[in-house]
Amino acid sequence: MISQLFILSSKGDRLVYRNFRGDGGDDVTDAFYRAVTSLPGDQAPVFMAREGQHFVHVRHGGLYVGATTTADTSPFVLVEFLNRLVTLLREHCGTLSEKSVSVNVALVQELLGEMVDFGYVQTTATEVLRSATHGEPETTKAFSLLDLRSVGLFGAETQQSRVAPGSVTNRPVLPPRGEQGGRREVFVDVVERLTVVIAANGTPLKVDVQGEIRLKSFVPGACELRMGLTEELSVGTEEQCGYGRLPLAAVAFHSSVDLEEFEQERVLRVTPGPGEVTLMRYQLAEDVAVPLPFRLLPSVEWEPAGRLRIHLKLRCDLPPKNHAINVVLQLPLPREASSLAQELSSPEQTAELQGGGRSLRWAIPRCQGGAQLGAVFRVQLPPTPPLGLGPAALTFELPALTVSGLRLRWLRLSAPPGAPPGPPQRWVRHLTHSDSYVVRL
Amino acid sequence: MTDSKYFTTTKKGEIFELKAELNSDKKEKKKEAVKKVIASMTVGKDVSALFPDVVNCMQTDNLELKKLVYLYLMNYAKSQPDMAIMAVNTFVKDCEDPNPLIRALAVRTMGCIRVDKITEYLCEPLRKCLKDEDPYVRKTAAVCVAKLHDINAQLVEDQGFLDTLKDLISDSNPMVVANAVAALSEIAESHPSSNLLDLNPQSINKLLTALNECTEWGQIFILDCLANYMPKDDREAQSICERVTPRLSHANSAVVLSAVKVLMKFMEMLSKDLDYYGTLLKKLAPPLVTLLSAEPELQYVALRNINLIVQKRPEILKHEMKVFFVKYNDPIYVKLEKLDIMIRLASQANIAQVLAELKEYATEVDVDFVRKAVRAIGRCAIKVEQSAERCVSTLLDLIQTKVNYVVQEAIVVIKDIFRKYPNKYESVIATLCENLDSLDEPEARAAMIWIVGEYAERIDNADELLESFLEGFHDESTQVQLQLLTAIVKLFLKKPTETQELVQQVLSLATQDSDNPDLRDRGYIYWRLLSTDPVAAKEVVLAEKPLISEETDLIEPTLLDELICYIGTLASVYHKPPSAFVEGSRGVVHKSLPPRTGSSESAESPDAAPSAGQAAEQPAVIPAQGDLLGDLLNLDLGPPVSGPPLAASSVQMGAVDLLGGGLDSLMGGSGFTAPGPAAPAAMGAPLGSGLGDLFDLTGGVGTLSGSYVAPKTVWLPAMKAKGLEISGTFSRQVGSICMDLVLTNKALQVMSDFAIQFNRNSFGLAPAAPLQVHAPLAPNQSVEISLPLNTVGSVMKMDPLNNLQVAVKNNIDVFYFSTLYPLHILFVEDGKMERQMFLATWKDIPNENEAQFQIKDCSLNADAVSSKLQGSNIFTIAKRNVEGQDMLYQSLKLTNGIWVLAELCIQPSNPSFTLSLKCRAPEVSQYVYQAYDAILKN
Repeated sequence: MISQLFILSSKGDRLVYRNFRGDGGDDVTDAFYRAVTSLPGDQAPVFMAREGQHFVHVRHGGLYVGATTTADTSPFVLVEFLNRLVTLLREHCGTLSEKSVSVNVALVQELLGEMVDFGYVQTTATEVLRSATHGEPETTKAFSLLDLRSVGLFGAETQQSRVAPGSVTNRPVLPPRGEQGGRREVFVDVVERLTVVIAANGTPLKVDVQGEIRLKSFVPGACELRMGLTEELSVGTEEQCGYGRLPLAAVAFHSSVDLEEFEQERVLRVTPGPGEVTLMRYQLAEDVAVPLPFRLLPSVEWEPAGRLRIHLKLRCDLPPKNHAINVVLQLPLPREASSLAQELSSPEQTAELQGGGRSLRWAIPRCQGGAQLGAVFRVQLPPTPPLGLGPAALTFELPALTVSGLRLRWLRLSAPPGAPPGPPQRWVRHLTHSDSYVVRL
Repeated sequence: MTDSKYFTTTKKGEIFELKAELNSDKKEKKKEAVKKVIASMTVGKDVSALFPDVVNCMQTDNLELKKLVYLYLMNYAKSQPDMAIMAVNTFVKDCEDPNPLIRALAVRTMGCIRVDKITEYLCEPLRKCLKDEDPYVRKTAAVCVAKLHDINAQLVEDQGFLDTLKDLISDSNPMVVANAVAALSEIAESHPSSNLLDLNPQSINKLLTALNECTEWGQIFILDCLANYMPKDDREAQSICERVTPRLSHANSAVVLSAVKVLMKFMEMLSKDLDYYGTLLKKLAPPLVTLLSAEPELQYVALRNINLIVQKRPEILKHEMKVFFVKYNDPIYVKLEKLDIMIRLASQANIAQVLAELKEYATEVDVDFVRKAVRAIGRCAIKVEQSAERCVSTLLDLIQTKVNYVVQEAIVVIKDIFRKYPNKYESVIATLCENLDSLDEPEARAAMIWIVGEYAERIDNADELLESFLEGFHDESTQVQLQLLTAIVKLFLKKPTETQELVQQVLSLATQDSDNPDLRDRGYIYWRLLSTDPVAAKEVVLAEKPLISEETDLIEPTLLDELICYIGTLASVYHKPPSAFVEGSRGVVHKSLPPRTGSSESAESPDAAPSAGQAAEQPAVIPAQGDLLGDLLNLDLGPPVSGPPLAASSVQMGAVDLLGGGLDSLMGGSGFTAPGPAAPAAMGAPLGSGLGDLFDLTGGVGTLSGSYVAPKTVWLPAMKAKGLEISGTFSRQVGSICMDLVLTNKALQVMSDFAIQFNRNSFGLAPAAPLQVHAPLAPNQSVEISLPLNTVGSVMKMDPLNNLQVAVKNNIDVFYFSTLYPLHILFVEDGKMERQMFLATWKDIPNENEAQFQIKDCSLNADAVSSKLQGSNIFTIAKRNVEGQDMLYQSLKLTNGIWVLAELCIQPSNPSFTLSLKCRAPEVSQYVYQAYDAILKN
């Protein structure tokens, strides 16, 4: 059970506080902040037992969203609930920031009242909360640097090469009451995360693709949505995959998804209320050969006097019409480097030493499919025997592409009766980003 | 903290302004004002002064405003109880409102106001709301019963709310059911004995039906409640499992884990032969793996739980090694957990893959992680024998990198590898020695010194190496000092001719210049050993050490079983049972796994069955990594496994002897004889000043050890035996049992012709010699006799077990009496079991044979307990410190060959010890406990 719930700013100021069970003092937020800031590095911060209290927290947008709890509570309930709370706050307040929370305190308190009673979680469903709460969100126009990462997703170019409005991320999902207008939009994102380890000899040791289909609806009321997925999809071991098949190892659907047509037609049907849901999560089967987007061909030479010459060739193996953005290569160095000399193949790339000279960072803002980039670095290292270099880690985003090949073929909306004329705006986006892309040297 | 903390009281003006706004006629303005009040309250400002004004806003039909006012009330009612009463009428009225949202809101809020006067008014509305037609109101009312119970439990019982709540379990609305279950579960916790949650097949069926329909959070309440149910047989367990399994694919990880918890528990009841068991095992893996792609916080919680699950049931995830490979962008706490699980899953099949990964990790940037990775390589070597060679060569590669902390960690683990595979990898010692200078951490230095001492005969310049450490002896940490002392003594015993000076130097450093009692005592013991009997010294110091085995930090089976019951609670994150971290009033109910039913009872499980064959592979419970070295050092002192126990008999026996002999040789300065080439050491002179201590020490050892002998008690009063009074006791000395008797003649005539005879008894005790009273016993005279006993007499089971019926005859008559002998006189000297044997035996003896006892009011610490018990032939095999409490693992053997295994749990603050005994003949347990109790309290 949740005893107390609080949201603190990054500096420890109390933004929201609620005591659900009438026990414990008011000073828990201070005790929590003391505990979390004095935590030794090797201890996990998620759960802390301090001064007879059990604290759990997650961090989002620089805020601490935390709770105190009794010992017999499921830690999964707590973490899962806090994460849901964050999502709900985003939906109701637009962004999650110190400003947006403090402006909407009354609304947040009202939500908490419906979500938790005496420490028991009651509901976290947007539509239920919508019918039970009456407060109106006040939006903040504040732009927070910490939300930049979500801009990357929603601000990315779409496959229709139209740009989705950037304001989508910091707009409350729920239109103000009484206003039927507002922009009626539906976003469907197919997002894949790529975890790859490539051995020093270039063979992939591990290729893991996890994906999800997310839906964010700004359409008031219920409307039926149907979406067709790639037909080559096969789930589990139901049929051995022939050529061109797309076998998934594991699939989980949101409970609201109607799978009647899935078996035959690969069609998902869902009737979402306003809000954000993850419709489907999947994991690509391990034995599928996924084309790897990047190859790294390094050559390293030791020059006398502790100078290290690193020649990196990065080949982008995407189809020529695709491209990668925000490519960053991190290469840990064996010792603190004191200086760096660089030759890069184009002017928009940058390279620098980081972490007190312990790693090299090579950033490439954009890289077209089929391109090959080269870079030569010379770093000055202290003259001690060398420890191996690497491994190199790449981060990147591949807009308008899913590495698995799973795509949304089409998306249809049927408006409920009495809805304003004209179909809501639909946005379908595909994106792959690197979760962990490691090349060993 | 920022400035706002310093301005906790609002300025007068602001309060005044708010007051005015609250009393405004305009609704909008009022609402805005209340919002401002709530905002101030939320950040911790004191706005209680506005209480009457806010309460005035309560009567409104605007639901949003009403909610805010109620929120304010919940917060301040406790500090202003009198004012809060003003609100009662509105509450009661709202509970009858036609709008269900308002009814629910009112009853919800009233429950949160912890003011007695208000709770009185709550009863009637609550009763109505519990039977409300709207499920939203009912589910709120159900929770309210729990709230009320928390404030005034008696009131809830008197008003009969508990029965109404029980009825709600059969409600048509699943959310109402879920909340009723949650409320009942909580109330039941504070009444462990009550039968509130009367779970039976019918009610379970209802819960399972509700499970399919209610919200994700409601499902959790129901699943957690199911986990407390004990199915009556394996068929019921299976049918529940079948209905819970679909929850495993739920998107909410909390639902998944609550389902896993239920399944893990009920699986215990299923026979492993069932096809269903295998199917279920297969179904458990995917949801656990899926959890690892969630947010890092969830991953962490999942990994902590998986860590428990793989220890209990490694088969579930044995093919999933790859998902535990570390990603470079995982937070460090996730990385460390993954590493731990990787080692637990390591096996011959996947070791190559694991090693390749670990080697990569060892070159990463994060120091903590790198250290742990290096240690992991060592643990793999110890766990998977076939991989040892590979691990060693990997470690050597890492040492070549010369990165300081990598080298040090590598040396520490190589020491462990030597202990597991002695005389196998000495070729690497040369490489290790090259890195001697770079070692600056005590643990690494101690490990290196241990290696040099252990393999002194193969290292040409061992003396030089050790001497180099000796220079800064006093600046070293205790760990290094102790190790250095032992290593040099080993070196001396191996190469006596060249190292005499060195050993003298270290002994005098340890005994004279050190204030550390551990170091000093160890110094004296070595010294004495060397001076009295170098051959014995060699046997003791260079004794073959028991091999260490796998998993240094395995959770003990009993704790693990308990923790498995707490999967999905905080206990599974902390890896401690709730009793270790829950304080306060709420009683902690000890949970245990259900016993397995069905046919496979004897074959138990595939992992236990082949235990005899692969005893060597069974993980032994060995103190955690950090304690290992201390343990190691102690081992040097310990008795050779096959020889007689040192402390028990030889010290006691030899105490005087030793002192005399040692003294002579020391005083005379004549040196001692060493094996092989003579070693004419002139040790006497520099050591003279240590003599006083030597006396003290021996004196101390002498009184401490030895089997406990109870004071004599009167067995046969003179009244009953025509003037002959017999008092006596039993003792055990150096392997022989004695009956110490005092015969007193209280009659007026002389007694003679004594004889004694025992009836058949449980352990075959019989006099080994006739009762010899040499002279006739004159009136008022008494004689003390020590009658030796043996255990070869005829056996008959007595009740109580330790009952002994004795007949004594003299010239007057024959007298009979019976007495109870303490069981510890039957504990034999070779009752020390090998660690691995111990573990295998402990596992092998069924749990029903385990008996638990409390030894109350004993204030000894673990070491004192251990030495005291050892005096009576109860041998401590291992000692661990778990969460601040010491666990002693002990064994003893009875004269008739029965082994008794014991686990003694000592909490520093608690004078009661917990003793768990396991024995194939459980009937002796009680008497063993009595012996424990008697020994420890004297």
